[in-house]
Amino acid sequence: MFLALNSDEREIASVAETFLQQEFPLERLHREALDPPCLQPFSELGWIGLTAAEDVGGSSLSAVEQVLFLLELGRVAGPVQVLTQMLAVSIAAQDSLLCAQFLTAREEVALVVENSVDRSQRFIGHDTARYAIEVTPKDATVFALKGSALERVPCLDRSVAMWRAEAALDEALLTIQGPRVWQEAQLGVSALMIGLADAATHMIVEYAKVRETFGRKIGAYQAVRHPCADMAVRVEVARSQLYYAATVVKEGREDADLHIDATKLLAERAVKMNTDANIQLHGGIGVTDEYDAHLLLKRANLLCRLFGTGKQNMKRLLMVDDEQSAEQGGVHGP
Amino acid sequence: MDLKFSEEDQAFRIRARDWLADNVPKAHRPLHGEAQGQFDRDWQRKLYEHGWAGINWPKEYGGLGLSEIQQVIWYEECARAEAPNYINATYIGLMHAGPTIIACGTPEQKAQHLQNILSGESLWCQGFSEPNAGSDLASLKTFGAIEGDHLVVNGAKTWTTDGQHADFQELLIRTTPGSERHKGLTWVICDMRAPGVSIQPIRTMMGDEHVNTTFYDDVRIPLNQVVGEVGGGWTTAMSTLAFERGTGFIGDQLLLLRRVNEAIAIANRVRLDDGTLAIEHQDIAGRLALIKAETLAIQAMTWTQISEIQQSGGNPGPKGSIMKLMVTNTSKTLSQLVADMIGWDLMEYDDDRNAHPMTYEYLWGWVYTIAGGTSEIQREIIADHLLGLPRAR
Repeated sequence: MFLALNSDEREIASVAETFLQQEFPLERLHREALDPPCLQPFSELGWIGLTAAEDVGGSSLSAVEQVLFLLELGRVAGPVQVLTQMLAVSIAAQDSLLCAQFLTAREEVALVVENSVDRSQRFIGHDTARYAIEVTPKDATVFALKGSALERVPCLDRSVAMWRAEAALDEALLTIQGPRVWQEAQLGVSALMIGLADAATHMIVEYAKVRETFGRKIGAYQAVRHPCADMAVRVEVARSQLYYAATVVKEGREDADLHIDATKLLAERAVKMNTDANIQLHGGIGVTDEYDAHLLLKRANLLCRLFGTGKQNMKRLLMVDDEQSAEQGGVHGP
Repeated sequence: MDLKFSEEDQAFRIRARDWLADNVPKAHRPLHGEAQGQFDRDWQRKLYEHGWAGINWPKEYGGLGLSEIQQVIWYEECARAEAPNYINATYIGLMHAGPTIIACGTPEQKAQHLQNILSGESLWCQGFSEPNAGSDLASLKTFGAIEGDHLVVNGAKTWTTDGQHADFQELLIRTTPGSERHKGLTWVICDMRAPGVSIQPIRTMMGDEHVNTTFYDDVRIPLNQVVGEVGGGWTTAMSTLAFERGTGFIGDQLLLLRRVNEAIAIANRVRLDDGTLAIEHQDIAGRLALIKAETLAIQAMTWTQISEIQQSGGNPGPKGSIMKLMVTNTSKTLSQLVADMIGWDLMEYDDDRNAHPMTYEYLWGWVYTIAGGTSEIQREIIADHLLGLPRAR
C-alpha cells in the first residue's frame, strides 16, 4: 500500500512537466488562439502510446502514468486532441494497422462531443482528421469522417476547433463493447480538470504575492488568503482520489467505476470553482483578454462537457453496498 | 503507487478483525459521570492486556512498534466492528501527551507515564487553550513562577476535554516574565489532583459536559515535571499538534463512510413534505453524491499522507490542515443534509446522544469545525505554509 509517487512516477511527471511548460506554455494562446495540429512531438516522445501495448509501439504503462501526464497537460491547458488521440489508440488496440496510424499521429482523430437524435452532431478536432471517435458508457467506436459534411462553428475555448454536421459519421470501422474506454476517458478528463484547477490556484497565488492594494499585498488579506486555501484543498482532495482511482484501474479492481465517478465529481467541482475564484480574486485584470485567467475558465467549460456531465456520475455513489463500506481499503486481491 | 497490502498487513487485519468480533463491548458508552471515564479505562485496559495498545508506539516504550499502515488497518477494523471510538478520555494520553513524552521526555518521565497511558491506568487531558487564547494559542497568559525546584502556577485553561476524568494534564504555560508570543513558554505535566487545581464543567449546546475550564491557584509543580526545556514549551507542543491534524483523525475518517451510507439509506426511506422520497430530489441526491465522493477522497488522502510521511519522515505538516478542514467540513455538511431530510425528527432531542444521534451530530458539526484549530486557522496555516502567501499577522 503506497499512494504517493514513487521515484519512477515522479520522473514521468517531471519529464512531462518540463516538456509541456516549455513547448506549450499558456502564452502560446495569446500569439495564436487555435492550437494547430501538434501531435507529432507527443507521439515521438511516447506520450500518445503511453498505455498502448509494446507490440504496437506503445510503452505498456498504466493508468497511473497516464493521469500523471494528463495532470501536467491540464496545467498548461494543453491540446485536448492529445487525449482524443490516446483514446483512439486505446479503441484501435486490436487493429494494429489503424492503431499504428493513430499512435504515430499520421492520422489525426476528431472527437464526437455530441451525437443526439434530435440535434446535430458536434465534433472537436482539426479539419485534417479523417477519423472520429465516439466514446459512451457502453462502447467506443472509430468512424470514418466525411469532412465535407462538417461546418466550422465558433468555440468559447478558442484553442479548440469545433464543428457541426448533420451526418458526418460514415461507417463504423471498429467498435469495442464495454466501459473500458469510457473509464479511461473519465479518468483522463478528470486529470485534465485537476491539472487546470491547480494552474488556477498557482495563478492567483503568484499574483497575490505581488499585487498591492491599500498598501499591502493582497495575499495578506484573509478575504484572499482563505479562498486561495480552499482552492488548494479542492485540488489536493481531487488529486488524492485521482491517484486512488487510477491505481484501482491499474490493479484491475472491481470497484473502479465507483472511484472514477467520485474522482470526476470532485475534479469537476475543483475546476469550476477554482477557475471562477481565480478571476474573481484577480479583480479587473482577471476579466481582460490579455490576461490568462479567462483561458482557464473557458477550458474548464469545455472539459466539464466532455464525456457526460457529473449527473451521470452520481448514481453509483448513491448505492449503498455494505461490503463496499466494510471493504473500502480492506482485504483485496490475491 | 499500489493499493495492495502486504501479507503481513493482511494477516494483521484478520487477527484484528477476529479479536474485535469477540471483544467489542455491547454496551453504549455512558453519557455522564465517572462511569464514562471508567468505560474508556476498561476498554483501554482490555486492549493493553490483549496486546493491542500503542500499535505504532515504539516497542521500547511498551508499544507494538508496528507501521502507520497497520495503525490505520486497526482503525478500519475498529470502525467495521463498531468498537468504542478512540476519541475518548484516553485520546490525549495516547495521541498527544504520550508521543510528546516519547519525543521530548526524560527517562524518569517515560518510566512514570508511558506504561500507564497504554494500560488506561492514567487518563490525560490538555491544558493549552485559555479563555483569551484559543485560536491565538501563543497569547496564553497562565503563569508559572519558578520558586526553588518548583513552578507555582496561577491562571486558567479552557476547553479541557474530559478533564473531569483526567489524572494528568499536558499544561502549556508562560514561565518567563514579560515574554511574548511563542517565547518563554513551558510544557509541564500537571497532576490533576494537586492542591489548587479545580475544574468547572462547560455545558455545550448539545447538552453534555465533556469540556471544562481548569483553574490553577498557587499550584506547585516540581520542575522535574517539565517536558523539554523550561522556556522551550512551544517546540515541545508543536511536536504533536500537526500530528493531530493529520493522521490523528483516521478513525473519524473511517466512521464518516459509515455515516454517509446511513444517510443514503435514510434518503431512500424518508418522504419529504411533498410526498416524494428524499433521494428523488436532485438537490438532495447531488449533495449526497458529492459528500460520498469527498468521503472516498478523504480515505484516499489518508493513504496519500501516510505514504508521503513514509517517504519523507516527520509529520504531515500543512497537509494535515487540509485533512482537518476536509474531514470536519464534510462531516458537518453531512449532518446538515441529514437534518434537512429528517424534518421534525431533528427537533425531538433531550440531550441524550445515544437516543438522538442525528440531532447530536448536527450540533457537534460546529464543535468539530472549531475544536483543535478552527477551519479559519487551518486556512491560515495552508496560506502560510503550503502556498507561501504574505502574512498579515
